Amino acid sequence: MYIGIDVGGTCTDAVLLSEGKVRSTAKIYNTPNNLLTSLVQALDSVMKGVSAGDIERVVLSTTMITNLIVERKYDPVGLLIMPGPGRKLEHYRNADVHILSGAIDYRGREIIPVNEEEVLQAIKEFDAKGYNKVAVVGKFSPRNNRHELQVAELVKKHKPHWQVEMGHRAGGQLNFPRRVDTTVLTCATKEKYRYFVQSVNEALKKRDIKAQVFIMKADGGTMTLESSEQSPVETIFSGPAASTLGAQALTAAGETSLVVDIGGTTTDLALILSGKPLLSSKGVMVGDKLTQVRTLAVKSVPVGGDSVVEMVGKELIIYSERMGQPYCLGGPFPTPTDALNVMGLTRLGDKDRAWEAMSRLGKWANMSPVEVAKNIINLVVDTIVKEIENMFLEWEQEPAYRIWEVMQKRRVRPQNVVGVGGGAAGFVPQIAIRIGGTPVLPPYASVANAIGAAVARPTLQVTMRADTEQNIFSIEEDGYQGKINRSPFGFEQALDLAKEWLINKASRMNIGDQMQDVEITRREVFNIVRDLKTTGKIYDICVQTPRGIQWHIGAGGKLI
Amino acid sequence: MKKRTGLVFFPAFDWSIAPIHPEREERLLYTRDQIFEEGVLDLPEIIEYRPQVATPHEIARAHFCVPGVDDQVLVAHRIAAGAAIRLSDRIMSGEINNGFAIVRPPGHHAMRVVHGNRGFCSINNEAVVVEHLRRTYGIKRIAIVDTDVHHGDGTQDIYYHDPDVLFISFHQDGRTIFPGTGFTDELGGPTAYAATINIPLPPGVTDSSLLYVIDNLVLPILKDFEPEFVINSAGQDNHFTDPLGSMLITAQGYARMTEKLKPDLAVLEGGYAIESALPYVNLAILLALAGRDYSYVTEPGNHPGKIVENSQVTNYVHQVVDQLQQMWDKRKDVTVSQLCGGSKYYQRHKNIFYDTEYFEEKQLEKVRACVSCPGYVLIDSHAAQPKIGRCRVMAISIHNRCCKNCIAEAWEAYYEAKKDYRYSYVYLQDKTDDTFITFRRDDQKEWRTEG
Ligand SMILES: [Zn+2]
Ligand SMILES: [Zn+2]
Repeated sequence: MYIGIDVGGTCTDAVLLSEGKVRSTAKIYNTPNNLLTSLVQALDSVMKGVSAGDIERVVLSTTMITNLIVERKYDPVGLLIMPGPGRKLEHYRNADVHILSGAIDYRGREIIPVNEEEVLQAIKEFDAKGYNKVAVVGKFSPRNNRHELQVAELVKKHKPHWQVEMGHRAGGQLNFPRRVDTTVLTCATKEKYRYFVQSVNEALKKRDIKAQVFIMKADGGTMTLESSEQSPVETIFSGPAASTLGAQALTAAGETSLVVDIGGTTTDLALILSGKPLLSSKGVMVGDKLTQVRTLAVKSVPVGGDSVVEMVGKELIIYSERMGQPYCLGGPFPTPTDALNVMGLTRLGDKDRAWEAMSRLGKWANMSPVEVAKNIINLVVDTIVKEIENMFLEWEQEPAYRIWEVMQKRRVRPQNVVGVGGGAAGFVPQIAIRIGGTPVLPPYASVANAIGAAVARPTLQVTMRADTEQNIFSIEEDGYQGKINRSPFGFEQALDLAKEWLINKASRMNIGDQMQDVEITRREVFNIVRDLKTTGKIYDICVQTPRGIQWHIGAGGKLI
Repeated sequence: MKKRTGLVFFPAFDWSIAPIHPEREERLLYTRDQIFEEGVLDLPEIIEYRPQVATPHEIARAHFCVPGVDDQVLVAHRIAAGAAIRLSDRIMSGEINNGFAIVRPPGHHAMRVVHGNRGFCSINNEAVVVEHLRRTYGIKRIAIVDTDVHHGDGTQDIYYHDPDVLFISFHQDGRTIFPGTGFTDELGGPTAYAATINIPLPPGVTDSSLLYVIDNLVLPILKDFEPEFVINSAGQDNHFTDPLGSMLITAQGYARMTEKLKPDLAVLEGGYAIESALPYVNLAILLALAGRDYSYVTEPGNHPGKIVENSQVTNYVHQVVDQLQQMWDKRKDVTVSQLCGGSKYYQRHKNIFYDTEYFEEKQLEKVRACVSCPGYVLIDSHAAQPKIGRCRVMAISIHNRCCKNCIAEAWEAYYEAKKDYRYSYVYLQDKTDDTFITFRRDDQKEWRTEG
């Protein structure tokens, strides 16, 4: 049996699954500043009548790190960067940053050496200001981490108790500014995240659960709770990712679905293409920071059930702000929820108040309450449908660097429109009609997030880049860099090396059983030619376990 | 509003002319690394677009491909040209102020008639855009500034008789480098005199002399011409580390030049120092287009005082500029009849060498020296291209501003050529109504495409 838990800002949702069926669900209002209590309550309420020994796996998703960052409740971090030549970085030229000598190029060759004097000076200044957390980040460090190691060692030598994070570990993709921010956030949240991990372990211990424990990542995969301590930033936006996977689990396998999560003031759109959730093409922005963390592609539309509606002249306008509850629930202004109530599409709220809200709006424009309600619903549907179209267009227009990518046909429209969230029932059928899909309102939609967590598969990815001219290779996800020590080293050997790396990683994390079907998602070979001679090859290879869900639940909740 | 720059990056990681050819998969690999690592794609000023695929008709507006578009043009070429089209559309819509197509394969050696690949080029990306802009948006005056180390002989060939397209090319003197053309006396045909400007430069030119040419010649000419749209054929082989060119230009020099030229659209051409130049030059140009600070972009090993220009080079550059300034000032005194000796046609013989596959094309090009319009062009071309063997074709191009008489004469010439058994193919490009006709003698088939 699997348990999925989503720790949100106000609620903790939990679900217990057994053989593809939902056994029980729970919604617990969080006890402020006491994560442990909320977790134990959630476990107790889904585990009634179940013995702890039957639990095979527990998967959690959490908004904790997201909220820490958005509310800027993380610790101050001193920044040591080696940007070398290139773009001017106005953004970092402030008091808490030291720009050090040292530069590496795109092939990992040293251009400018590190100046240790500068590092010592920086340590002194950070010390004087009271810092004990430092991020060390160099441009092109994923291609050669020597400078970062050198600087980090110096810091450790002089300040053994400081927490030092390096860019090639925290942000292995090629994007220096994002690497800087990702490293800073990793450094700033680790200690606080440890509290989360401890609370989870304690809660499970209290209930004698010895199952494997995983945590959701932003991209819909999972990692072990233990390994997540190294990269807490990977858990940001794991909540929306869990909802998307939940919606996927509640619909039929292999289909193309649009997930519409209609909340109070926003509607989140996500896409599942032939059974695979769509990833965003770039890392996510959290607070004011651009990270290297890839998430599922979720588009937020600023309209929801509690949005304020006003009549301006003869035109209805929906505002993105929330001014309280819908009128039918005692709020101050008319909202789309009131319109749904008048049209009999929701039972939420007081019918008389809903009619009152609509007739108030219609008075000046000479419209009946029903007309007003219809117009509001149309307006909401219009707004969402327009953004759905945009979402598909954006996906079709994503940059392409290879001929086959340009020529590949990308015109797809969803078979299903899956509604989750409070306002879904009223709007989703109409949205589906407009875009020609089948509306799906799955059962358990209100705990789709916890279901998504429970069914999420552990995922591992290894991105390897080997440069045979320099006889080096690196593994992006682990920040590992080493010498190639097998000969000959052709594409086959390179692929084998990447796969071995993946398998070793899986067994270290105790998920070797997930390695049956390894996908090769990138296989590129570049000839390095100098003076008309081939002097080496660059292999760029990415292997991964399939992302997605363990199984589907129920018949899919299709409405006919 | 903020300045916005569009980027189409199409490195064609799955295409090469041959595994160790300079036009291979690796060429823009390090440029990608540099651009990604700098995070420039996250700048609010920069919008990245996906390339589109240029249609055969869009290509036929600029070229006579022998025997047909599909025989000469690969998907890679269509995407590179399509990238430039996509950016030109975004510029015209006002979504972006300018754009940079960092694409391969390049195009500026591709001429009007295409029998094969020349100087790594099969179709001319800039010409495809010019014809697209004229047809779609009715733009009248367009300038192309070619800043590749090689003479843009293909672009010159296509617009030699077109007074509405100003072509300015500076390059290393043709006596010292491929393709061996681009001298100061190549100034355009009689109906387009001084709409072609060539600025041959001696080897060893540095940033300062380059900027001297831009300030004292290129910018004043552009100002007088008043183009509605400026395209930069942005070759990067003037770089001091380029293996093919012998110039001494730096990434800073390229950026400064771009800032001065203010092109609407820059299209990458040559540049084969794929490690020491391209990552830095591409980055510097992109930042310059976006109005960002590029002063920290320096190549490894380059430091102030490293690159010095020989004073003879400086003097020579000043002389070339002087000479062309004088020509430009007096251009209006030169008449059509002076240029063609009073005869009805102006004609020239051309031998065109296709260096990729080693064969030659012979051409007789005639332009109707009309006093009331740019005239039409007749090209009698034969070549023994490896694909189809010896083949002679007649190609007729009608300018979009041709007068009624010229249109009638050109169509008459087309019907005559169809009767002439010597031509295996007869082509007619009528830019007044955007039609393109191909006639194949073999089976007497004729087909047309329309925009
Ligand atoms: Zn060139
Ligand atoms: Zn005429």
